[in-house]
This record gives sequence, C-alpha cells and structure tokens, in this order.
Amino acid sequence: MKIAVLGASTTKFGELWDQSPRVLAKKAVFEAISKSGLGTRDIEAIFVGNMLSGILGGQENLGPLFADELGIFCPAFKIEGACASGGLAAHNAINSILGGQYKTVAVLGIEKMTDHKPEEVASGLMAAGADEEREAGATFVSLYALMARAHMEAYGTTEREMAAVSVKNHFHASLNERAQFNKLVSLEQVLSSPKIADPLKLMDCSPVSDGASAIVISHDRFTGKVIDPVWIVASSVATDTLALSQREDLTSLRAVRLAAENAYKAAGVSPSDVDVAEVHDCFSIAEIIACEDLGFFGRGKAAREIANGKTKLGKGRPVINPSGGLKACGHPVGATGVKQIVEIATQLRGEADERQVKKAKIGLTHNVGGSGAIAVIHILRS
Amino acid sequence: MISPVKVWRHQKEIASYFGKEGKIISWTLIRVPPEGFINEAPYPIVLVKLSDKRRIIAQLIDWQKENLRIGQKVKAVYRRTRQPDSEGVIPYGIKFTPL
Repeated sequence: MKIAVLGASTTKFGELWDQSPRVLAKKAVFEAISKSGLGTRDIEAIFVGNMLSGILGGQENLGPLFADELGIFCPAFKIEGACASGGLAAHNAINSILGGQYKTVAVLGIEKMTDHKPEEVASGLMAAGADEEREAGATFVSLYALMARAHMEAYGTTEREMAAVSVKNHFHASLNERAQFNKLVSLEQVLSSPKIADPLKLMDCSPVSDGASAIVISHDRFTGKVIDPVWIVASSVATDTLALSQREDLTSLRAVRLAAENAYKAAGVSPSDVDVAEVHDCFSIAEIIACEDLGFFGRGKAAREIANGKTKLGKGRPVINPSGGLKACGHPVGATGVKQIVEIATQLRGEADERQVKKAKIGLTHNVGGSGAIAVIHILRS
Repeated sequence: MISPVKVWRHQKEIASYFGKEGKIISWTLIRVPPEGFINEAPYPIVLVKLSDKRRIIAQLIDWQKENLRIGQKVKAVYRRTRQPDSEGVIPYGIKFTPL
C-alpha cells in the first residue's frame, strides 16, 4: 500500500487555556491543508481522533462539530481508542482511501485536558481501563508502575535508566518550538521529582496537555500540486486483553509486537532499517518497552542503550522521539497519534530544522491505548 | 453515579474470590489517586496470582513496608472499595491482606 501524506501540521502543545478545541482544530487542519497545496473543497471526509470530549467536556458528535467549524460539510467521524485514538483515526482514514470510498481526507487528532481537575482527568483516562482496575483505585501511571516493577525484576532495569529517557526527550523538545516543555532537565531533577506511583516519579510521566494535529492524506495515484509527498507504507492495528492482570508477561506489550510484525511485513522493512521513530512514551518505562517490542534492541537491553545515548539526536540510530515524545512535547491524548505522523513526515521531508535526523528515509510511529490493550503502528518512507 | 444494578451484578462475580490466597507478582504505591479515592492515598495496589491461577489487581490493606515485595503471600478479603456519591450504594469488592 502507498498513501501520500500531502500536508501535516500540529499546534503548539501545552496548557492552552485561551484556546478552545474549535480554535485548535482550525489551526491544525487549515495549516495541513495549506501545506498540501489543496483547498478545503478537496477534502472528502474528516476523521477525528479524540478520547475524552464526552467524559470531560460533555461534548460528543465531534464529526459534525468540527466539519461545521471548518466549514467543510463532508462525511465526518469520531474515532476512539483511548490514547491511540489519533493513530486509529489515521488507520481508518487510510482504509477509507484504500477501500476506494474517498480520494483525499483529513485526519484531526485533538484533546482538551487542562480545563479540568487532575483527579477528573485521571478518572476520565481510566475509562480506557478495566472494571477491576477502576475498583482498585488504579491510575494509568500505577498500571505502568506495575510493568516497571516487573521489568526491573526481570532485567535489572534501574530508576536511573528510566530517568534517562525523560532527560533525552526533554533535550529533543528543547529543539521543538511547538513542544509543551522547552527546558532541559537533569537526571537528578528527574530522580528527585515527587513520586506518583512507585517507582515512577512526576518526571517519568507525560503531562496533561491541550493540542491538535492534522494530516491531509490521499491515494497514491492522486496528482495534486505536491511534487514530493511522504508515503505511508504500512498501517497496522492489534489488540490485547483490556485488563493488565490478564497478560502473561508484564514486561512486553503483545499488541505492539503483533502490530509491528504486520507493519514491518507490509512495508518490507526490518527494525534495523528505521532511521527515526516516534514512540508512545506516556511513561519512561513505556519507551523502554517500546524499543524492545519494536525490535530496535533485544529484550531487557533497551534501558541501557537509551541511557548510553543510542537513541539521541546526533548520537545514534534510530533516533527515538525527536519531537520530545509524549513526555516533553506533551500528550493531548487524541492528538498524539496524529502528531507522531506529523513529526515523522516532517523529518522525512527534511524540514525539522534543528532537530532534523540526518538522511532520514524510513520512519515509524508507535501509538498505544490503555495499558497496551490496543496498538497502532505506521511506517513512512520519503 | 455507579449504577446500583451494576454493583448488584458485580457482587455475584466477586464472591468466588473470597478467602482465596495468592502471591504478589508486582506492586506500586499510589500517591496521586483518582476521584473516589482521594482520602485513601497513599495506598498500594498489587497484581496477585491466586493459587487457582487467576490473576487480579486490587488494593493491599493492613500492610507494612516489608509486605511491599514481589512474592509476598496475600489473602483476598471483602471491603468497601471507593467513596460512594451521595445517592449511590456503597460499593464493596476485593482487597488483599498480607499473610
């Protein structure tokens, strides 16, 4: 398969109290359309990735809401898959083109989180979990803390190695003006930040964020004004048990391994071919597990490699999370999966300025929902 | 509000856990709780493998620091789980106590 990314854009992520979801959506989608060289009349459908609009904002029916706001009255849909909503919206948009229904569509990932109290957001996010987890008073950070503890026990992974993930991602975000955090942090700062759910600390965690990201994609046969698109060559989704307790192995996500295997096969590439990847580092341990599940490093080996700088811009390959990742670029949950594609498309076009990964030809995005119940992998080529 | 009907349905399932023993596979100590658990933090949650092979996540109660370890033996007990809202029924469920 080959789907052209004609335009890609993201708003700044952060605590955007003065901007409504409507404003954010407009900014992201109109900039993506403008970059594509097309007009709004060329957009035949809109796929909206969002998780929390109903729970936090009391607003559903997002398809027509954003179609109305954008003034593009075409078929429009909300796609929900917890923190993988953005990636899942892209997957469905791609399928709609491959199925021959539409030629050119827009994918919008959007979330508005900072209007609400932290405990409301924590409870809202737990809608992606299982009954037993809500009953226990679990939060997402606590579920990943259970995985972190198991990873430490199995492979000797240390809190210091986990902290190194956050340090690296803050460095990358310092080169990204649209990131939520532009400041460097030290290992000591991460290690001494308040504990949220042991062994994970505040600075192991991605923040609560607002933001929107959009892409305009089209069939490969489309001959628009764009001369040099980036191509999506694989889009793969897999699921696993909703409850973390039902997984045989806490140190790896089966949904990611399955989706990655199918994506590599479809794209005809292997993990060692990947130059740059945006992975779902909702917590530092998640990036370590992602790098192992995606085959970049062997099981139990990623923490040391990351701590040694193997995935840092200008130091190694593949470069992981040049945008700053969820940790430092921010994590408006519905937007994240789309932002990852925006970042990889920007990298493969060679338009990432200071944070450009040199000679990047093949990129990957890894978007996860729940504690690993759903995973979406995209592979892109220049 | 948690539907009373849902609470009633749930009770039929959780009775099968009463008194079951097992071991902690992984644990964490929650310091920043979600709604409904604000007064209880910090509290540990544990992933337990029961002797009948079932696995479940629940809170650990009556704990000391030395109980927070992988391999700790625990027993399932029946306790109030979260703060009910003003009109809801009081939800009960499984928690674990160290052995």
